[in-house]
Amino acid sequence: MMRLFKKLHKWIGLLMGLQVLLWLLSGLMISLLDPEKVSGKQWASTSVAESQTLGPVVLLEPAELPAGLLKDALGIDLTNRHGEPVYLVKRTGGETLVDATDGSIVVIDRARAEQLALNDFNGDGKIASIESGMAPERETRDSQGAYWRVEFSDRSNTSVYISASTGEILERRNSFWRVRDFFWMLHIMDYSGRENFNNPLIITVALIAVWLGISGFILLFGSFSRADFFFLNLLEKNTDVVITLIDPGVSNHQQVRLRKGSNLFLSLATHNVSLDSVCGGGGECGKCRVQFETTYLTEPNTIELGLIPKRLRERGYRLACQQIAEKDMTLHVPEGTLTPGR
Amino acid sequence: MMLKPAVIARIVHKWLGLVIGLQILIWLATGLYMVVVDIDFIHGDPLVKNMQDKVEVPDEGPLSFASLRTKYPDASQIGLRPVMGRTFYTVITADKRYLLDVETGAVKSPLNEETAREIAKYHFAGQAPVINVTLITSSPPMEIQTRRLPLWRIDFDDRFATSFYIDPYNGSLATRRHQYWRIFDFMWMLHIMDYDERSDAHNLLLITAQVTGLTFAITGLWLLFYSFSGRRRNRKTVAR
Repeated sequence: MMRLFKKLHKWIGLLMGLQVLLWLLSGLMISLLDPEKVSGKQWASTSVAESQTLGPVVLLEPAELPAGLLKDALGIDLTNRHGEPVYLVKRTGGETLVDATDGSIVVIDRARAEQLALNDFNGDGKIASIESGMAPERETRDSQGAYWRVEFSDRSNTSVYISASTGEILERRNSFWRVRDFFWMLHIMDYSGRENFNNPLIITVALIAVWLGISGFILLFGSFSRADFFFLNLLEKNTDVVITLIDPGVSNHQQVRLRKGSNLFLSLATHNVSLDSVCGGGGECGKCRVQFETTYLTEPNTIELGLIPKRLRERGYRLACQQIAEKDMTLHVPEGTLTPGR
Repeated sequence: MMLKPAVIARIVHKWLGLVIGLQILIWLATGLYMVVVDIDFIHGDPLVKNMQDKVEVPDEGPLSFASLRTKYPDASQIGLRPVMGRTFYTVITADKRYLLDVETGAVKSPLNEETAREIAKYHFAGQAPVINVTLITSSPPMEIQTRRLPLWRIDFDDRFATSFYIDPYNGSLATRRHQYWRIFDFMWMLHIMDYDERSDAHNLLLITAQVTGLTFAITGLWLLFYSFSGRRRNRKTVAR
């Protein structure tokens, strides 16, 4: 049972770690991409069409429009679209364009869509294909209704989506957007729709991650000792301690001067005394055992209680990574730690 | 000086943690808020009603679209829109906008405080009373930064501190804001580290922090790997 828990803990920890890594990586990729390119504005025609006045031509009154359209209209506007006076009828399902001179419903056909796309796109590419489709789909998920997708042969594979009912530019998609969208999917962990960041998976994972983040923050404070900030009290004198090291395989003792208050394992490591370790001084592997003279012995902490057998603890064994170089002392290190002849 | 990779990773992880730890905690906490609180609620969808009113196309009246085009020869758009369930004419010219009564033809815009208050109450789904009405003509608060001014701001005395913004030139509910939206916006600012505009995620500070954070996470995962292999070996030695 405990083995199972340990295994679970390990794998959940690893998965969480990987997700945090993915969050950071995807976040970085998203910020690195230029929003002008992602939105396609970089290659969109900048000339904003002057709002044309309606002029004096004879036009239909709203009451003369097809009755079926007017019945449930949310709003009706007489305006110019694509150079012609039209009625824009807003309904729950979307918008419809009606020719203001004869009351016919305006249809954006393939040729019209092609022209509109060419007007909009000013990148260096020709039209590669024109296809019709129905939003919402992945690249048109913020729109509704029938559209024309006009694909260009430019380097960033631009697709201009044009509403089949109003001729409006619905979206400009390109490789930059698609890359961003992939990382956005990873970032919000919505692998199907890529838009819902209120999904149960990310809520669960985020809760665990915040908890891990807080515990990590607490661990962070524990991992620093005052010696780490020696540069803040340079004026203070006599801040070194002398550690005498005894290796049973080497006849000479070796003495090293360490900064008082520093972590014994890391400090020795930076003085070329490399104690055995797998975890690198994290109190995880229990390999950096050293034997203290009983006069210097302190009570073992919980990590040492867990990683050193009782008989060895009683003989003065402790973990170097859990000990502080507090005063001058003598340490017995495992055979082979020191280099002979020094 | 030859340090073992694990020792290097631990030292790097520890010091990077000091540099970036707080920001990572901020990313996690702000991210948690944004995923936990429903985005439709943030957008204020449950706070509004009467948003699907239909327009009545007038059969006859003092005005027609043709007469409006004569009255406003530079009009680029003439329309019909509902305000509090009644239909009004809207006219847009190059630099002005108008709202006109369909029955009398009278120009109603800009709407006065009383009307703006009535419109806000008409669209407010809650019960709380209005506590404050102000006309915002310049230096708008951050929450309506991108909106066209002027706007009437109507504050409700509800637990969400709801504010409705009414456009005095067409009577529409331009936008709505509430406390949780404002918190969301603040969280987003902290998340993307754009403390001025709150909208640009393509900034150097954020990218620097992300690279630091990524290095921190990679060394952390590396150490996790060491700690696993360490435990396993240790168990073997104890068993022996």
